[in-house]
Amino acid sequence: MKRKVLIGALAWAILLTLAHIQLNIGWSQLKDNADVIMGKKRRELTVGFLPVT
Amino acid sequence: MTDHSDEGTLFRSRKFTDWPTVKEALIAEEIGGVFILAPMAMQLVADGIPIKVVYLGHRDGTAIIVGKDSGINEFTQLAGKTVAIPSRYANQNILMHKSMREHGMPFDSIELRELPPPEHPTALQAGTIDGYIVGEPFAAKAEVDGFGKVLYHTKDIWPDFISCVLVVREDLIAERRELIQELVDGIAKSGKWLDEDMEHRMDAAEVSAKHYYFQDPELLKYVLSKPADRVKYTNLAPLKPDFDEIMELAAEIGVLSRRVEFEEYADPSFVPDLDQIDWNMDRLPEEGSKP
Repeated sequence: MKRKVLIGALAWAILLTLAHIQLNIGWSQLKDNADVIMGKKRRELTVGFLPVT
Repeated sequence: MTDHSDEGTLFRSRKFTDWPTVKEALIAEEIGGVFILAPMAMQLVADGIPIKVVYLGHRDGTAIIVGKDSGINEFTQLAGKTVAIPSRYANQNILMHKSMREHGMPFDSIELRELPPPEHPTALQAGTIDGYIVGEPFAAKAEVDGFGKVLYHTKDIWPDFISCVLVVREDLIAERRELIQELVDGIAKSGKWLDEDMEHRMDAAEVSAKHYYFQDPELLKYVLSKPADRVKYTNLAPLKPDFDEIMELAAEIGVLSRRVEFEEYADPSFVPDLDQIDWNMDRLPEEGSKP
């Protein structure tokens, strides 16, 4: 019984995590973040400029 | 020179030539932020684009230029003349209206004509306009080439004049705050470095002329030194009183479709304490180094 509760709680936590990534973060964003943490790529930000002054 | 910060983030720049494309790029999240004209940022927010002004690009760095032999020596002599402005959404347009009001001149006493900044000096030389108001280096161009003179530097008629502001997407502010902070810190550090030593300004003129502006380095050196306070890169916090003044005037002359409150379009929370930041030259990565 105890084991079943533990597995159920674990499955629920995994489900919530996957749903959070899907709905709030996005898999490509997660991969980018992982690559930055692993040192495979740099964080990037593109800043535009409009030379009108 | 390096294209990334000392934290390793790669900052890319992208040049735009028109306003609608900037708007689309922000909506499509192709860019995280952009340097644009202050009233333009307000209008984007009025149009419902979720952005915030987080820092300024510079202070001053704009001048009213007239022909060297025009005989024009004061603002009221511009009555009946044609003066080029970079855009109706430019603070230069607001300044012309502010000056007309201060001199008791009706708003239609000077014909203001929108022209792309690179065309200002050539139009003056060709005689199709009588003067122009624009940001550097196009103001200095007529002076250096010998056919124009400065009627006023903005520092003398609207001290700490604001022209370009840095806006960023609100979703980045909410989700990647540290990235925006890194960007603002980098701009603040660069500004502090530029303003602390004339030699730094001369080095910057060489680098930016070659890699970004594609202008004569001597022209940029002139802009950054004649006089030294012609353009300033410190005191770049977006301050409510400054922006309120711009917004009220812009709304009054019909540049803005509606009034926008400072809190709607600005977030000054990223402004760093200049005493607490500096370049750590030992930590700067070498050009081409790996992350």
